[in-house]
Formats: sequence, C-alpha cells, structure tokens
Amino acid sequence: MRQRNITPENTEFVILCFEGPDRYSLAGGLAVRVDNLSRTLAEMGFRTHLLFVGDPELKTEEVGHRGKLVLYRWCQWISKYYPKGVYEGENEKLYDFSESLPWFVKDRIVKPAVARGKLVVILGEEWHTAEAMCRLSDILYSDGLRDKVVMFWNANNTFSFHRINWGRLSYATTITTVSRYMKHVMWRMGLNPLVIPNGIPRSLLRKVDDKLAAGVREALGADLVLCKVARWDPDKRWNGAVEATARLKERGLKTVLLARGGIEPHGQEVIQNARSLGLIVSVARTKPGSSVGYLAALKEAVPADIIDVRFHLPTDVLRVVYRAADGVLANSGHEPFGLVGLEAMAAGGIAFTGCTGEDYAIPFVNSFVLETGDPMEIVGYIMYLRDYPEEGVRIRKAARLTARYFTWEAAVQNLRSKLENQARIQGTLGGRLASAESQFALSEFPPELLATTLKRHY
Amino acid sequence: MAQDLVIYAVVHQPRRLKLPAQPIPKGAGSRDIERCLFDDQLNEEYFHKVATYCYYPATEMFLELAGGGLKFSIGFSVSVLRQADAWDKKLFDLFRQLAAHPNVELVNVEPYHSFLPLLDLPMFAKRMAWSRDNLEKVLGKRPEVTDTTEMLMSDAIYHALDGLGFSGAFLDGRPWVLEWREPTHLYHKGKDMMLLARHYQLSDDVGYRFSNKGWWGYPLLADAYAHWLRDTWGDFVVLAWDYETFGEHHSRDTGIFDFMRQLPDELSKRRIVTSTPSEAIAKYRERSFHLPLPQFPCTWAGQGGMEFFLGNDAQQAVFQLMLQAYNKALLTKNRRLIDIALWLIQSDNLHLIQWFGRWGSDAEVSAYFTPKEWWKLGPSGIVWEMQQVYKNFIQALDAYL
Repeated sequence: MRQRNITPENTEFVILCFEGPDRYSLAGGLAVRVDNLSRTLAEMGFRTHLLFVGDPELKTEEVGHRGKLVLYRWCQWISKYYPKGVYEGENEKLYDFSESLPWFVKDRIVKPAVARGKLVVILGEEWHTAEAMCRLSDILYSDGLRDKVVMFWNANNTFSFHRINWGRLSYATTITTVSRYMKHVMWRMGLNPLVIPNGIPRSLLRKVDDKLAAGVREALGADLVLCKVARWDPDKRWNGAVEATARLKERGLKTVLLARGGIEPHGQEVIQNARSLGLIVSVARTKPGSSVGYLAALKEAVPADIIDVRFHLPTDVLRVVYRAADGVLANSGHEPFGLVGLEAMAAGGIAFTGCTGEDYAIPFVNSFVLETGDPMEIVGYIMYLRDYPEEGVRIRKAARLTARYFTWEAAVQNLRSKLENQARIQGTLGGRLASAESQFALSEFPPELLATTLKRHY
Repeated sequence: MAQDLVIYAVVHQPRRLKLPAQPIPKGAGSRDIERCLFDDQLNEEYFHKVATYCYYPATEMFLELAGGGLKFSIGFSVSVLRQADAWDKKLFDLFRQLAAHPNVELVNVEPYHSFLPLLDLPMFAKRMAWSRDNLEKVLGKRPEVTDTTEMLMSDAIYHALDGLGFSGAFLDGRPWVLEWREPTHLYHKGKDMMLLARHYQLSDDVGYRFSNKGWWGYPLLADAYAHWLRDTWGDFVVLAWDYETFGEHHSRDTGIFDFMRQLPDELSKRRIVTSTPSEAIAKYRERSFHLPLPQFPCTWAGQGGMEFFLGNDAQQAVFQLMLQAYNKALLTKNRRLIDIALWLIQSDNLHLIQWFGRWGSDAEVSAYFTPKEWWKLGPSGIVWEMQQVYKNFIQALDAYL
C-alpha cells in the first residue's frame, strides 16, 4: 500500500551544498543553513546525508547523531591544494563536484535506499549544485529511479544566476527559494519557485539574561546602542547605518554603533565615510576567550561613536548584544531572507529590517521595517522608541513570539508538506492522480503543473 | 607474381582526454594532474566494448589461424596493454598467448602511439628502445622489426630507428613515397634496416572497404582476394591493418571473421605462403633495393601524408599546444610530467578531429573515432575543450618551474 506521508521510516534525505559544517566550509549563512537543516532532520529521525566541500584533513565520511546524519566531504583531493577555504579553487571544485557526485549519490545512497523501499528526497543548495542536480536527475532517470526521488533545488540568493541553465534545472527539479521577495525576483526571470523560509535553531529562543545585556550597556556607557552584523556590502546599507548614527549624535544623544563586518573592502569605505561625518571610530580586538574578555574588549574601545568589532562574536555573546541594543540594524536593501533580523528578534532585540525578503517582520508589531534608504527613517523610529519606551517592551515580546514560528522545525514542516505534495504528483506517495490526458490536453496545463506532470511520467 | 604474404596488425586503444576539460588545481601533484586530463572511466567503457566485439573474437580467430599454420605479425601499443592489464586480465593473457605463438612475430611500436617521431627524434629513439625492452618483458618476445605511430616514416625517422638495431621497419607504400617502385619488394635506405612497404590498396580493400556496399569489389570473398594477392606483381605483399578491423571497424555480421578463416585455404590453393616480417627480410635481403625516403613523413592514414593529421585549423592549433606542452614538460625535468606530456601527444588526439571543416565520407572516418559522449559539446565545443585540456596542463606546469 502506498505511503501517505513523508516519515523517518519511509524517507531519506540527501543535501548537496558547497558549504557545510566544517570550519573550512564555512563562508556565510549557507553553511549555517545546511548545518541546521541537516541536524534538525536528523534529530527528527530522518536519515540524512550531507555532501559538501569539506575540510581535506578530516575524514571523508563521518556519521553522527546516532547514525542519522552522515557527512560526506567532497573534493578533498582538490581542497588539499587550496587551504584557505571552500571557495578557494572554486572552479576546480565545481567541476569535480558536478562530475563525480551524481554517480556516488545514485549508486551509494539512492539505489540502496530505494531497494529498502524508501523515498529519497534530494535538496540542492545554491548555484554550485545546479549542474550536479541536473545530471543526477538524468542518471536517475536512466536507471529507472527518478520517480522514487523528489528533487528540490533552493536559491538562497541571486548569486551566479547567470551561470545556471534554468530550463534544464526547472525541468529536472522543483525550484524553491527562501522568501516571497526572492520568488518575485525569480518570477521576473520566468521561474516559479516554491517558498520555504529559512529557520533558526530552537536554542536561539532561550531567554537572554537581562543582567548580561545591562552589563553590555554599562560597558559602552552610551545613551543609545545600535548594532549591525553583516558583510561589508553596499546592499547591506552600512552607510545608512553610519549616517543614522551621525544624525542621532547631532541631536545630542550619545550613540554607539557596534559594527561587526567581514573582510570585504567596502568596509574601508564605510569607516572612511563615518570619519568624514565626524564620527569617532575605534577598533575592538581580542583573542577568542570568555564573554568577560569580549566585554572588556568593547569597553576598551570606548569612547567611540562606532566600534569596529574585529573579532568573531560567538552566538551567545551576539544574542546578548542584540538584547542590549536599542536597535539591531538589519537594514539591507536586498535581503533574500534576513537571518540576522530574525535572530535578533529571537533574542528579544528590536530588529530594524529592510522590506525585501524579511517575511517575518511586521512593522510596529514585532519590528521596524525600513521602507526607504533614508537614514532619517532609522532616526525617526529610534526617537519614537525613546518617546514611547513601553512600545519597545511590547515589540521585544512580540518579536520573541514571532521567532517561534520560524524555527528549523517549523521550516522543515513547511518543507515536508511541499515535498509530500510533489511526491503525490509524482505518484510516489498517496493515490495516483487521474490521468491528465483523459481530462485535459497537456497544453492546457499551467506551466508549473505541466513540468511536474511530465515528471510524474518518469 | 607475389609468392609471399606478410600480414601485420597493430592493436591500440587511445588514452582519451577528459572533455569538457577539467581545471587542474594549482600546485597539483602529477597523479592529480593525470586525473584531470584523462577520462579513465570512458576509456574503460570503450575498452570493454571493443574487447567484446573485437579483441576476444579476433584473438581467438588469430590463435586458431596461427595454429593452422598461418604466419603473421602483431604490434601492441603500451596504451592498450596497460588497459588490458588493468581492466581485463583474461584478455591480457590471451594477447600474451597470441604473441607467444611460434607463428606470430611481435613487432615493436611507438609505445604511446604518439607523435614523438615528429617532435623529438632523440627522445623517440630512446622510447623505441624502451618499448622493445618492455615488450620483451611483458610479452616474452624481443621484437626485431618495428612500426612507429600510424606507420610514420621519413628520412630522419629511418635513421633514428636504424641506430637501434632493428632489422626492418614498416612504411606505407604510397605512390608519392615509392614513386615508380612497387610495394612488393624489400627496400632499404643504404643502412642495415630494411623497409617493408605496405600494399595500401590491397590492405585497404579489407581494412577500409570490406563492408562498403558501394564499393565495386563488395562483397569481398576470400577466393577473390587471394586471387588478387596472387596476381600482384613482385616478391611479396605486405598487408597491414588495425587489429580493430576485425569486429570493431567491420562488425562480425559483415562476415569479416568468416573471410579471414577462409583466407588461408584460398592462399594455400594459390601457393601463397605467409611469412613473418623477419622471414621476408631474411629471404629477400639480398634482393633489396635502395629507396630514397621523403623528408616529409608519410603515414598509412588518409592519403598517406601528414595532411590527415595537420590538414585543418583545429589540428594545427592542437598540434601547437602539443609542442608547447611537451617542451614545457621537458623544462621541468620531472619524469612523471614528461610522461604525461607524452600521453598528450598521442596521434589519436589529432586523428579524431580530422573531420573539422569537412563533410560526408571525408569526415565520417574520423568522426567514427570521436567518442560519442563528446558530441553534446558540438564540433566547435569539442575542439575548444581539447585545446583547454592542453592549456590547463601547460598552466599546471608553472608550479614545477
């Protein structure tokens, strides 16, 4: 009898991604996403295989989570020549990933799983996996396995969209993305992705100790504390944050902006701009250590209007900073999803998001949504909070409530329901669809259903 | 009327390049460089296919014929021997059995089937000497007669080989090489090494035209062919073929195996005696003739000249890259890298783009040798990616200089 749902007993997951949980493989949010997604699936009982460009010094295959999570480190023979990280030697790794991985997945994972009566879900992340997904779909089809596999390919951002063969990819897989904003961006390209938002680990919902947050404020000794954690990228609107800080200072408010950027060159422009606006910029450095050490480093950096934080802030410390701040400026002009804003909300912070992919943000309910690039918009909302401090309390509470709907468990439920839908269309779950030919000519199907109906005939 | 018949077949499989070209990691070791350049998975697939349709049935046939008294000669490239050793030990043993037969003479060949005779004659001479030693070690017989790559021969190549002590070498008996002379005599160029001229017309009747229904001689029957051999004026006839003629170029259902099995009887009826090349050299040495060799290399491929390998822009470009790859590898003084460069100058890499810019039957021959998996790149894509393979290798050598 055909199964009706995707359960740990009847389904295995395969995730393909360049980035992954190793330090070598960590470059940004994508690594965090697949790490959290794979762990959540494993914790929910699904046998999950994560194939990524891993550290060349670590084991090629590693099993964890009581046998539920298997890590496969790919391209190690190439990575040994490129020690700086996952994207060094990118083209070399991309070739090998696309060429060798599909065969491995088919023969070593899919075939045995199907032989055990399982449905296999394959999730590809980002443009690096597009070719591998297409080839995998082709070889699964050649071996008569394609109808036992559901393949979703996810766009987290628009990076290298021009390198993707969209016709082939949309035929071979179901395309997904992380927000309605991204969906609309992709609509303009003639694509029709499903939306499966990102999530945050449940651990981020833990309450932040207000005493620690107070300690941060005390260390900074400011009237207003703002915080921004992002790549130094024009899209992130750093200059807007800097100008808002300058405007607040002009109004006589002692304001400190804690700025945690990356290694990108735009950072120098931003700092230069800050100085030209009369802001004092100091650098905070420290070696990795305790929270006390990080706090001391921040304290040493004052007095300053902008503190350029040049050390990695562990999640626990970052959450305290979010909670301590009067505003967490996640004010990007283009943000596919906006994890920082959501993380700030989970910590009970007040997120100032942009108005693109941040589907979780409801203005004046759980956050502030900046609808322009005008720094005065930030200033206005900050002044509003100063005039109505009870609003800040309410918004922080609502923010934490909202974050509960965006855990990885919730994201996986969303994913699961869409996977089940696709599996039903393919005839792998539930009853068969009535024959399309008896009711409609294929040409009368809407494009998105036509693609999936064709897939059903595998 | 020719009384003796020398039959020679060469067994070779290329080491195909990996297309599309795989980028080589910076600082990659030689093993990883090789892995990026050559498609061993594809090579293995093709090897097994050819083994099924050709190598097994042909070798069994020739063993049978040798057992029945037919004498012939055979050459093996190192390329095919290594593939057999790696992927089909049973076939490898069969090859050894064939080479070991008393009626079979083992002929030396350019080990990688490369264009080394065109690029570097001193190195070519070393490699041919090595090949001789290697064949003796692997197959148990020391070759006395030699072939080259695609039967390349020229004035300079002759001298390079003569210095190695071979008693004879093959060359293709084209009119522009032999001029007024017949290919049915033994020749020399003033040195000890004799020259055995392939009768290209009679050879191609089987090797090229056997299954061509549009050919006036189709279907070629053993008795008719034996008659043609008998009617050939001269001392002896040299027939030389790709071993893959039997079962691969001409499939079993063309009747080629039956033809060969019937041929010895038909030869015997016409008192044509099969000889090994060494036997022909011994018999006709006293009646050998001087042959001035061309300075331009001749070959058994195409129309007999290098235009088959260098006749279009794509081949010219790849050949230039071959030169650069080989010479830069020499600069590294790294034996493994030089070895890789030798693999990259296999003649097959120019043979299989001979179709570039051509159409119809002119292009079909070499298009047949192009791996079908490459055609999805398109003709220009194939050429582009081939060039990229060489460029990637040339760039990868930077780490060693």
